[in-house]
Amino acid sequence: MLQLLLTEIKRTWTEFIRYPIEAIAGLVITTFIFYGLFLSARFVAGSQLHLGDRLSTIVVGYVLWTLVLFIVNDIAAALQMEAQTGTLEQIFLSPFGAPKIFLVRTIANLGLRLALILGVLIIIMLFTRTHLYFSLTLLLPLSTLLLGAYGMSFMMGALALVFKRVEQLLGFFRFGLLFLLAVPIATWIAPLRGLGILLPMATGAEELRNLMVRNQSLSLTHFMLALLNGIGYFALGLFVFKWAERQAKRQGILSGY
Amino acid sequence: MTALEAYKLRKTYRQGGKLVEAVRELSLKIEPGEVLAFLGANGAGKTTTIKMIAGLIRPDTGWVKIAGCDPHRNSKALQMLGAVLEGNRNLYWRLTPEENLEYFGVLRGMNRKAAHRRGLALLDRFELLHKRHTPVQALSRGMQQKLAIAVALIHQPRLLLLDEPTLGLDVEASQNVKALVREIAQEGCAILLTTHQLNIAEEISDRVAIVQNGEIIALEPTARIVKQFSDCGYIIEFLGELDDVRTRKIEAIGAVVESQKMIYAGTPEGLYQILNVLSPLPLVQVKQDRADLTKIFLKLIGESRAATVTHGN
Repeated sequence: MLQLLLTEIKRTWTEFIRYPIEAIAGLVITTFIFYGLFLSARFVAGSQLHLGDRLSTIVVGYVLWTLVLFIVNDIAAALQMEAQTGTLEQIFLSPFGAPKIFLVRTIANLGLRLALILGVLIIIMLFTRTHLYFSLTLLLPLSTLLLGAYGMSFMMGALALVFKRVEQLLGFFRFGLLFLLAVPIATWIAPLRGLGILLPMATGAEELRNLMVRNQSLSLTHFMLALLNGIGYFALGLFVFKWAERQAKRQGILSGY
Repeated sequence: MTALEAYKLRKTYRQGGKLVEAVRELSLKIEPGEVLAFLGANGAGKTTTIKMIAGLIRPDTGWVKIAGCDPHRNSKALQMLGAVLEGNRNLYWRLTPEENLEYFGVLRGMNRKAAHRRGLALLDRFELLHKRHTPVQALSRGMQQKLAIAVALIHQPRLLLLDEPTLGLDVEASQNVKALVREIAQEGCAILLTTHQLNIAEEISDRVAIVQNGEIIALEPTARIVKQFSDCGYIIEFLGELDDVRTRKIEAIGAVVESQKMIYAGTPEGLYQILNVLSPLPLVQVKQDRADLTKIFLKLIGESRAATVTHGN
């Protein structure tokens, strides 16, 4: 498994840097986006106001949003691309099994993206002499959010396996994701609150907001609920993906897109 | 151990509300070191069969065993299988040959060092070592095809599936691929290949299976099927005029004389008697009237179609 992860990281990195102009353009765009975010936050805060924590919240929130969005779309997008380039069936011929390969691949892609974003942020912080603050405690609810995102990614991948063209659906899902990450389930009252806990990623996102925006300390109960939610959606995603793989093999539509 | 056993494979699809039988009760076996050419018109069921063998399409009924393992139930079977299913499109075009081989080696369960070593050995053998650092998309089509086969062999499979391995290749690249297929088979790997280029199938296969409407209508050793469909005769072409006396002598031996050509279906001794009579007229060629796989294929397909129509009426 570790060998597979290292090989996927190597492949992802090699493909990224093979065409330097494309890689540099990607970096420049990321830099502009974050620099724009810094400038906007400064403009909104004004020169007299202390920017500090608010800027950190905006930047960290934006990074999380883009990463979650990226994860959720990644498997479906990879499936469609591999089918077009003709390598999809080779993945299904691996004894590791497609779910493991796509999971490892998404982790490698996420690692590369995260490394690039962090690199860009450090450079901007050095140039603008700004500091971002975030607590390591954030990693706990973040992990539950990522588990849920991977589960959703497998579900989107399952849709792509069975229904093939799902670009419109993925676009629509971005709006759904905005709702899931922004929904204030803590303010909901029973029985809606119980239902809110079952929504994918919503509990983890709420806990992240509590830590980042409301400066609250980590609630163990909320974290455990978010973790159960994340694990549940991850397992459900894997189950649905395996079901879709069986369906695609039964209908003989694995490689057709 | 038998490299591949497929038993009574059957696959039905629903198309436009109708059930279409893509493959019907298809069985075949391939032994290690054997090349089986799987021939059929478009839509005959070749690709569906190959994908059922590879575990990519689940059969409705029947089973597949690769060296005793079922690829639909046991992922270990996939370690004994290599496949080139979409020509040269089995590769990552942004990666170099060396990187592709290492990546797919790990994907097939090898460790990185072993995959790298084996990859270099394959590149050397396939005469691609000088291109090891060139991205795949900058290679010629022939080189890409050779690399796709090398990638399928990285984990030393017992069974290699090749779907149209020479499609779109120039003459030299086709010759290279043919030679490689024979070499790989000689090393003990069983090969199942589909092709529309019947001359290639005839040259490199030990057996042929002709499939129509999802059924095998002929499964024979290549040499036997060619012999079976060849007339036991000779065609002799010559230049100049044959006078009446010699024509009568030749006809008495049993040949049918036409203008500057004769057909003789007799013994080799008779053939030499004819050549003596023909002497000293210049000969253009003397050849055995041998059927080729194209003729055999068309004949069998035609007969099968006619039988289906008669049966239907």
